[in-house]
Amino acid sequence: MRYCCPTSIEEAVAILNTDEDARCLAGGATLVAMLNAELLSPSTLVSLRAIADLDGIRHTDSGITIGAMTRHAVVANDQRLNNGLTVVRLAAQEIGHPAIRAVGTIGGAIAHADPSADYPTALLAANAEVEVIGSSGARTVPAGDFFQDYFTTALAHGEMITSIHLANADPGTVSSYFKVARSDGDFAITSMAFCGNFDGSTCTAARVAVGGCASTPLNVTAVDKMLIGAELGSDQVTMAAQALADACDPIDDVRGSADYRRLLVKRLLPRVLQRAIDQGSN
Amino acid sequence: MSKPQSITLHINDEDHDVRVQTQQTLLSVLRDQLYLTGTKLGCNQGVCGACTVLRDGVPTRACLTLAVDSTTFAITTIEGIVPADDLLPIQQAFIDAAAPQCGFCMSGMVLVAKSLLESNPHPTREEIREALSGNLCRCTGYTKIIEAIELMSTRSA
Repeated sequence: MRYCCPTSIEEAVAILNTDEDARCLAGGATLVAMLNAELLSPSTLVSLRAIADLDGIRHTDSGITIGAMTRHAVVANDQRLNNGLTVVRLAAQEIGHPAIRAVGTIGGAIAHADPSADYPTALLAANAEVEVIGSSGARTVPAGDFFQDYFTTALAHGEMITSIHLANADPGTVSSYFKVARSDGDFAITSMAFCGNFDGSTCTAARVAVGGCASTPLNVTAVDKMLIGAELGSDQVTMAAQALADACDPIDDVRGSADYRRLLVKRLLPRVLQRAIDQGSN
Repeated sequence: MSKPQSITLHINDEDHDVRVQTQQTLLSVLRDQLYLTGTKLGCNQGVCGACTVLRDGVPTRACLTLAVDSTTFAITTIEGIVPADDLLPIQQAFIDAAAPQCGFCMSGMVLVAKSLLESNPHPTREEIREALSGNLCRCTGYTKIIEAIELMSTRSA
């Protein structure tokens, strides 16, 4: 296994395009665990740690851009991620524990595309865009298209993630994240992320994402529409939660049964909405 | 197996020249090549925290860190913080609180405790629990470990 440590994005892309079996090494929190378990044996590891352009959170006129190599701990503590973007900060706070958040990166986490991980669900609710680059140039992929299947993304051969862009939300937008796991820091049994608006306790705009309940994080447009005009605690929210549970396709695994996950989806929707309202009133 | 590469690691304020494979973890180099066996091999998956070292002062998993990717960091292992033939105050606090039992998790626990108390000399119980959340102990149920850190906190008042 070869090791390269390029100092520019161009150099990294060139290596990825000359060696079909090369893999990017970001924080290592997932990739090195897979190497240790002998699940993966790439011909080359392309360490991204020396590429300064990939690191850090930048404010732009259109929103906030998080570099692919930005550590979870940095995102978890960035108070500029508020209102409609709080969901991303809350998700980062839920990943693993301090020693993992100190090394793990947002780019690495979403490249792995585990539907039970925290970022994919939060980024889908926030309608984030993933910026990727390959030999034929850069392109932007909406989060809803980026996650394609279990551990499968829209990245083509030779492409790498450079950043995640979060567009400015409409004024008054609130967001929240709620995860149920076996223990603090574990992957989700079921998680839910919400971005939207309220007038009092009536929802006026909604984008809900569910994690751990299908091959990708799930956003159901029909459910988002059902929530518009729904008052918290009303039958309309119960019906939307039922529709969301029906749209899920969870598996039975060591963390919980498929039935339990569907039950959690129904329970979590009112809670994630309440949490968003509470955040807005703080 | 690829050809080993020569790298220099900065461990406990000394430079160590070692020959390593790309896929070799820092943990493997510490234990098998440098015989710094105070850092323990537990799960090798980043879950248990037995392999905790400080990387530029921050608790990090040696099992999730590749040696070839560690050349720019200052690595501190348990051997690097303990004075010869003596104990650190935090170690004495662990003993006084009867925190160690089998001892396997202690290197990681002590390094996390030291790092926490340096940045936050008087942590709340919740802050201690959060700091220790990535370190498993299968003997004590954690209470005495938390009490040891609280004891250290009161002693440094």
